[in-house]
Amino acid sequence: MATIASGALVTLEELAPSLPHFKHGISLRVTGKLQDYDVETAIAVIVDRNASLKVDTQHLNLNLRIGSIFQFIGELLLEPDQEAILKARVGRNVDGMDLNLYRQSLQLLRDFQAGR
Amino acid sequence: MDALQLVNTHVKLLAFDFLSTLKPIPHEPTSFSRKGKRLSRAETVGIIVSRDYKPNRFLKFDIDDGTGCIPCVLWLNQDTSRHFSRRCPSTVRLISQMAADFASQVQLGVIARVRGRITSFRGNLQITLSDVVIERDPNSQILHWLDCLRLARNCYDKVVVPPKP
Repeated sequence: MATIASGALVTLEELAPSLPHFKHGISLRVTGKLQDYDVETAIAVIVDRNASLKVDTQHLNLNLRIGSIFQFIGELLLEPDQEAILKARVGRNVDGMDLNLYRQSLQLLRDFQAGR
Repeated sequence: MDALQLVNTHVKLLAFDFLSTLKPIPHEPTSFSRKGKRLSRAETVGIIVSRDYKPNRFLKFDIDDGTGCIPCVLWLNQDTSRHFSRRCPSTVRLISQMAADFASQVQLGVIARVRGRITSFRGNLQITLSDVVIERDPNSQILHWLDCLRLARNCYDKVVVPPKP
């Protein structure tokens, strides 16, 4: 039985066209504050520092409250105009998460995985 | 000289570590080797990303901790399993009820902390669960990562140097 692909830990700033995680179909875990949500299309926009990302939440059963911090795991879809949208498989409200600690930990994890 | 004994303690490993560094030990189906140390149990914290529920048989699910996905199995067949037939029925009922409770808590998208025996099924490593706790603190995943890093550096990866005679 093939296991599900793990959502790679990235910050929204790392989802820019020239960077390694900006690939069609890649599985990612993203975190950001919910800035906007369109009930009809179920498309959410999350932001973190200066970056933002569209998230398709139609398969999720979540209370998407503007201003709360959310985390999503899903696949990145690159539209023809290079606009990215994450098709989320799961999501959760992470209000209360220490975002500075989170960002530092991501770097520590990468160092560890690279054998440093 | 006692080597650091990690057998029977639930080692906290990042999923990529669990899946890539554990090796089976020939003739010992319940033990696995990681950098020369024997392990039999593990603990992980992550998001539940898949769920395959067969009532009264098992619940299989995958936990994604951000570095990999660990397959987990929670057995739900205590009432009919030969393995439990010789044990006191009220104990078996308790165990069965606890497992059923755990199964109902394991839902897609939640963060769970699980512990259990490291097992291998068709060549794939997995955890056969003994405990599940749903983590509501949004920082629990981060703290688990930091625990894994700290324990790997200070404990699991340490090479024991025997004292000079």
